[in-house]
Formats: sequence, structure tokens, C-alpha cells
Amino acid sequence: MNDLAIHTEGLVKLFGKTRAVDGLDLKVPRGSVYGFLGRNGAGKTTTVKTLLGLLRPSAGAAQVLGFDIGRDLIAILERTGFVPENKMLFGSLTPAQIAHFNQGYFPKWSNELVARYANFFEIPMQTPFSKLSLGNKTKVCHLLALCQGADLLILDEPSIGLDPVITDLLLRVLVEDHVSEGKTVFLSSHQLAEVERIADWVGIIDKGKILLETRLEDVRQNYRLIRAAGDAAPAISSPDLMAVQSSENFRSYLVTRQADDFAAMLRAKGMTILEILPVSLEEVFLGLTRKEVPCISGKPGMIPAHA
Amino acid sequence: MYQWKAWHDSRARITLYILAALSGGILFGLNVIADANLHGYWAVLYAASRRRFLNYDFCMDLPFWMLDWVVRDCGQTAALLAGLSLGACSVGGEYGAGTMHFVLTRPDARRNFILTDWKVGLPAMVIIVGGLAFPLVPFLALVHAKGPGNILAGLPALWVLGAAVYGLSYFTTLAAGSAAKGLTLSVAVLLTFSFFPTALNEWWHSDTLLRATEWTLQAFKNNAWPLTSFEWGATAFWLAVAASFLGASLAWIRYREV
Repeated sequence: MNDLAIHTEGLVKLFGKTRAVDGLDLKVPRGSVYGFLGRNGAGKTTTVKTLLGLLRPSAGAAQVLGFDIGRDLIAILERTGFVPENKMLFGSLTPAQIAHFNQGYFPKWSNELVARYANFFEIPMQTPFSKLSLGNKTKVCHLLALCQGADLLILDEPSIGLDPVITDLLLRVLVEDHVSEGKTVFLSSHQLAEVERIADWVGIIDKGKILLETRLEDVRQNYRLIRAAGDAAPAISSPDLMAVQSSENFRSYLVTRQADDFAAMLRAKGMTILEILPVSLEEVFLGLTRKEVPCISGKPGMIPAHA
Repeated sequence: MYQWKAWHDSRARITLYILAALSGGILFGLNVIADANLHGYWAVLYAASRRRFLNYDFCMDLPFWMLDWVVRDCGQTAALLAGLSLGACSVGGEYGAGTMHFVLTRPDARRNFILTDWKVGLPAMVIIVGGLAFPLVPFLALVHAKGPGNILAGLPALWVLGAAVYGLSYFTTLAAGSAAKGLTLSVAVLLTFSFFPTALNEWWHSDTLLRATEWTLQAFKNNAWPLTSFEWGATAFWLAVAASFLGASLAWIRYREV
């Protein structure tokens, strides 16, 4: 069996001349919680739709749970729970009726789980879907995905409309009921705090390209922010350097590993090292995806080293 | 499962259409009876039954003609409206509600989604068009000694016409991605079909397309019923049109992106 739940190679999706997904290489390990992060319009939803056959790839290859997205789509859909970005289901039906409708498609469907999660998430099961609040609509979408016995959950912006209590419950359910059974969760989101809380892998996408794919633990252990001061800003080229930020008195360097070696290199170029700090996922995300524009104060922000 | 959902969503609308068609049929029938009474046909009918010397068929020509008009002309209108409306509302409803992605991510062949819509929509159209005609049966029996067979024999042609319009409306909605756009495109196609051949004949004196169009409409002309073999050909043409739109929809959904 393939060790990857999702594997894409050079995946491209064109809309006219726009490259919404541009040579995407994803490797999502089975049994992981993978945070797929990106700004608005980065290509997250396009990627998700392509993986589920709603969009056809312009080039490249992709497998989901070992099945090719072009040839074995039904096998993929049978094993994949999907919470879409727009959270829209049949408006005239109640959640109970939608669950009944969905049951017919999934052999592993569990009515026990329906009752359990309906109670857990406090879902009004007899109210027509169109009359539910956004939060309750989101809960129903999760209920359907969680009860179908899927091996892979693809959740696109999973916490839209949910209050912090329900968001907390949902994240616990995902980890305790799903990941603990060896199933995979693919979270497409820009809610960094949620991803950071439960993910063990992260992929950051921007302009259709994957900028970073790594274990979250790797970020915590190895990624560092180095603040250095000096008269001149030396030209530095290093594969470990992810982003640079200039301020009035110092420069900040976001490096992926070997922070001490990188600091030594800066010292050799006449810079004074002020501090070496661990970084959060948010700092990594901002460092990689922030545009080359001044921040509110008019001073430049962190600029990706690849920009 | 989708069949259950499709019926659940459309049952109120279809029931309303059927009631409207039944009411229309009954009202038209009553109108014919009243009109016949006004012209003294019932006295003629009575005299004919007692004395057996009047030309019964001749005397009943007017009400018979009126009922023929109701079934054929109103039936055509009902078939057009039912076909356009049902075709656009089914798949257009999913687009409008934003649920197309949900439908297409159920683990089922996409063609089943299309076939289910047709399985629900076509019988509804057949019942609606028939709903207009069948209440007229007792009136037909009253005013025509030979019974209603001649007029009702035209119903299959109307059903086939309705199926073709349903197919047109369904396919354009599927391709355009919304019921409003699909309906607009369908009406544009129907208007082009109706007026372009005439314009071609008037402006460029080319009557080939006009004759072809008239041939396809033979089954719906005055006195075309019961259909001759030639008119069955035209009916078969509309059946082929309906089948083509079904085939086109099945091909389109396979590659449709949402």
C-alpha cells in the first residue's frame, strides 16, 4: 500500500492564462494531520477540487489513497470525506434527511456516529438546512464527512462560522476519533492557530506553488529567527535562508536549519548577532507569503528570500 | 438516493403544474359543452338519437374541432412550458443552491445524476401534458360518436415534443451553469428555429430549411391526427432530438467542472 494519502507531481490547473495551481508537488503521509496553508487565492481550493475530480488537471499527476484522480475517482470519493469551502447542502432537506440521503452512498456509514455527533455538536437535525445558521451548516457538513467511515478527510476552511467552543470540539473529534484510528486529515485553511494545534505536517502554498512542506515539529525544533545589526546589509545566499526583514536598527533572518552556522556567517560579514529566537508557524507563514510591500508604518516587512 | 431527493425537491412544483393542467382541461371541456349548448347541439344530438335522420358527425364538427384545438394547440404550449421549466429547474436548482459540488462528490457515476433527473422530469412532463388532455375525454365522448381516439392519438407526438424541449432546456442549463442562462439560451434556440427558416426564405429565397422545419412540425398541424406514416417520421425526428440532448448531457457532465 502506498504510504501517501495524497501525492501530486507537477500538478497544474490553468484557468485561461492564469496558473491557479502551478506545478504542485504534494506528499501527504497516511495517518497524518496535514495543514495545507495559503493566502486567499493561493490555490488551496483549486487543489482540493482537482483532487476530488471537480476540476480537471491541465497537467501533472495526482493520486489520492493510491488511486489515480483521472481513472479511479469513484473509489477516491467512496473513501474520502469532504467538507467544501461554501458549506452548501440541499436547502429543502433537514440534516436528518441529508444524512439519510448520504447513507445510501457509503457502505461504512454509521448512524450511531450521526446520533453521537449531532448531540455533540448540538445540531438541530429536524430544521431545514436552508434555515440553519452558518455555524450549524458547517457542523452538518462535518457530520456528514465524519460519519461516512472515510479513510481521508479533506476539510476546506473547516471552522468557518464555528464558535471557539465548537471549533475546539471539532479539533478534538478529528484527533481523537479519526487520526487515532490511522486515518488522514487534510486541512486546507488559513487559520494558523487551528492548524498549529493539531497538524503534524504543513504545506504552504502561494501562487499555486508549494513553498514549504515539512513536519511541524521540524519548524519548532530547527527554524529560527536571527536578529542582527550592522552598518551594511551583506548579500547572503543560503539554501537555509527563507526570508529577510529589514527594520531601522536591525535585520531579521528566518532560517530553516543550522541557525548557529548561519549566525557565524553573519558575524564573519561584520554583522552583530542580537538574538536567535524560535519561530511560530505564523512567522514562517508570513515570512514566506508576505508580499513585498511596506507594512503600515511604511517600513518594509519580511521578504521571502525566493522573491 | 438522488432520485428520492429530486422528487422531494420537485414534487410541490410538479403537483402544481399537474393541477393547473387538469383544471385547464376541465375548464376547456366545460367551455366546449357550454358552447355546444349555446348553438343548440344538444337538441340536435337528442333529435339524432330519437329520429336517426340527421348527419350526426356533421353537427358535431364544431365542438369536436374545439376539443382538437385544446388538445393540440394548448397541449403544444403545455409541452413547451413544461419542458422548458422542468428541464431548467432540475439541474439549475443544484447550480442555484450551490450544491453541484456536493452532488458530484458522491461516489456515483456522474451519468446517474443526469439519468435520475430525466427519470423524474420526463414522467412529470408526460403527466402534465396528459393532465390537460385527459379531463377532455368525457366531453369528447359526449360530442363525438366515434369517441376521443382520434384526438388523443396525438398525445404521443406532444410528449415527444415536450421531451425534446426538456432535453434542450436541460442541456443548455447544464452547459451554461444556471437556470436563467439555460432558459434564455433555450428560448433563443426555439425562436431561431421558428423564425430563421422563414427569414432565410424571405430574404434569400431559400426555402430548403423552411420545408425541413415544416416537415418536423407536421405532427402538430391541423388534421394531422391520426398520424400518417409520414408524420410518425416527424415524431421520430423529435424523439431523436430528445435522445441527442440526453446523450449530449451525459457527455457534458463527464467533463463538467464546478
